[in-house]
Amino acid sequence: MEFKVEAHRIMSISLGKIYNSRVQRGGIKLHKNLLVSLVLRSARQVYLSDFYSGACLNAQSEREGKEWDLIDSEREKFPPATEECNQTEETRQNDQPPINETVEKADDEEVKPDAEHCTPTPEEQSQNSSSDLADRVSSESSVPDAIKQNQESPTDSTNATLGESRQPQKTHVCTTRKRGAEESERDDAPQKRTKVNVTSSNASDDEESEEMDTGNVSNLITIFGSSFSGLLSKDGAKPEAEAQDSDSGSGQICCDQMLKNLNPWSTAIVAF
Amino acid sequence: MEEESDCRKINNSFLRDHNYATEADIISTVEFNSTGELLATGDKGGRVVVFQREQESKNQPHRRGEYNVYSTFQSHEPEFDYLKSLEIEEKINKIRWLPQQNAAYFLLSTNDKTVKLWKISERDKRPEGYNLKDEDGRIRDPGTITTLRVPVLRPMDLMVEATPRRVFSNAHTYHINSISVNSDYETFMSTDDLRINLWNLEITNRSFNIVDIKPTNMEELTEVITAAEFHPHQCNTFVYSSSKGSIRLCDMRASALCDNHSKFFEEPEDPSNRSFFSEIISSISDVKFSHSGRYLMTRDYLTVKVWDLNMESKPLETYQVHDYLRSKLCSLYENDCIFDKFECVWNGSDSVIMTGSYNNFFRMFDRNTKRDVTLEASRENSKPRAILKPRKVCVGGKRRKDEISVDSLDFSKKILHTAWHPYENIIAVAATNNLYIFQDKVN
Repeated sequence: MEFKVEAHRIMSISLGKIYNSRVQRGGIKLHKNLLVSLVLRSARQVYLSDFYSGACLNAQSEREGKEWDLIDSEREKFPPATEECNQTEETRQNDQPPINETVEKADDEEVKPDAEHCTPTPEEQSQNSSSDLADRVSSESSVPDAIKQNQESPTDSTNATLGESRQPQKTHVCTTRKRGAEESERDDAPQKRTKVNVTSSNASDDEESEEMDTGNVSNLITIFGSSFSGLLSKDGAKPEAEAQDSDSGSGQICCDQMLKNLNPWSTAIVAF
Repeated sequence: MEEESDCRKINNSFLRDHNYATEADIISTVEFNSTGELLATGDKGGRVVVFQREQESKNQPHRRGEYNVYSTFQSHEPEFDYLKSLEIEEKINKIRWLPQQNAAYFLLSTNDKTVKLWKISERDKRPEGYNLKDEDGRIRDPGTITTLRVPVLRPMDLMVEATPRRVFSNAHTYHINSISVNSDYETFMSTDDLRINLWNLEITNRSFNIVDIKPTNMEELTEVITAAEFHPHQCNTFVYSSSKGSIRLCDMRASALCDNHSKFFEEPEDPSNRSFFSEIISSISDVKFSHSGRYLMTRDYLTVKVWDLNMESKPLETYQVHDYLRSKLCSLYENDCIFDKFECVWNGSDSVIMTGSYNNFFRMFDRNTKRDVTLEASRENSKPRAILKPRKVCVGGKRRKDEISVDSLDFSKKILHTAWHPYENIIAVAATNNLYIFQDKVN
């Protein structure tokens, strides 16, 4: 689907901008990064909703087969993290550095809470899975957190509270990944391929912003994962407004239609 | 309206011969003083260049007061914040003149963190005939002094010197985007992304915070302050604009901390125009009161809006600056052009508004006749003293002879900063590192 490609492209560009803003002269500009994070959030919503809307459409016709497709492609996005969840403490620490390097450029502090909470129990997953997806669809990028933390770290002591508030949602994200991990025994080849991609792109730090393949981008987004709850409340109001609007029929902005479709599909996702 | 291009193509760097622009020469702000006699420009290298209008002479009536360089000084230097390991850019974000009260001129200039008050004064006389030192300044041996004389002032070549009189620092955690002098001529405010501080011009070690929109949990941040300005006549009133496209008017008499606004101006978003970039293009980049104080003008990425202070629900007038860019927002996001902060200005009588665009174009809108014109500030396309030819951007379909298609616009040539003389039809347009001054046609 071209919407997905477009949304993914915008997400990669946005992440690249956020990375570049950290190394540019004059320090991080709060206004620009806020705007970029808004775009990132919108693109992510479209990307994920497009993804799930495709899955729901297919589910009506061929439920069984397409379910596995959904989980396959989900696994495709998240295998490195899946590895992370599957492994024991020791081996997980070994795997952390490659993933950390990817994320480190953007934020050092967020990966550690992620690792600590990557041990949810499997029994939670069946209860949480549906709410997970809804959470993820509507949860915001916490990339601005990183930026604000950097700006304020000497003067502001919000780091601890930020870490805590993020933890519950990180658990949810991890749970969903784990569900995908259960299916992973079926097919190891895609995992390995994606994992190799991750490590190879980590090797060249300079080119990191350019070598954002699907796995990296999705990793970064899920690891940034949660909470930007102010945007969350704004976002909650938005889908309702869009659902009320009639279709303008302007195909020019293709994501327009995806944003409008977001609301009906989110109810389908909850049921799913 | 027809204009004669006086085309003072004044390059801010006087020491170079090259044609290419170094980044330090990029003009970052332009401002006339309150009489229009002086024009100040700030650049990315932290320098301020002040131009003065020469007296009109009867001998050369067609040279109606051209602007010449009056003073150049380094206002801000690059700094390093050791605590946060951040470099502080020396780029001059804004210059605001103080009203003239004596022979000297005063202006405020600011970079991202520090505001400075500069005094620009002339010296055209020099004392001569000291007893204790000779003309070179060397101390004379008291034993050799046999007579006394009274020192006298003798004329000398005019020297313009700029001295920093006040430095207002350490009050902003975020980047300063605006400064505004109050009509009481005693106070001014400086605005960063989340806070507005009020200063007394005489006191540098203390400022009062009057607006603070920083949330306790930074994760809940949804909007930042993008610009602020004092009302031109009411010293208790100011407005500030946000990245969400809203403007708040505050009254300092209501409370010490003006977090609660008196008026809230926002136009509901048009749902048919929603896209990934709707939030970015609705962010207001500049807000200006009209000279009368009755109207407000705001600039967002694609439009200029005029608001009546008495009507908060929607703007009085909306002008499309370059709506043909609406379909190109994705590419403009990629090349960062969508984050450009255009400014807007009123003319002296508040009947015409002007703002910049790309390809060195700038636009003027006549509020009364509803006519608009696009003009270009470029050396290649206009000769000195020639009348500027209106330009047109062709939006798809057949391109006529003089038109430019949207795809051939040069997005690296942007006009972000313009200024209009307070009384006359003289405009200053900053195009990257060049300053253009245009005047009305002389009959």
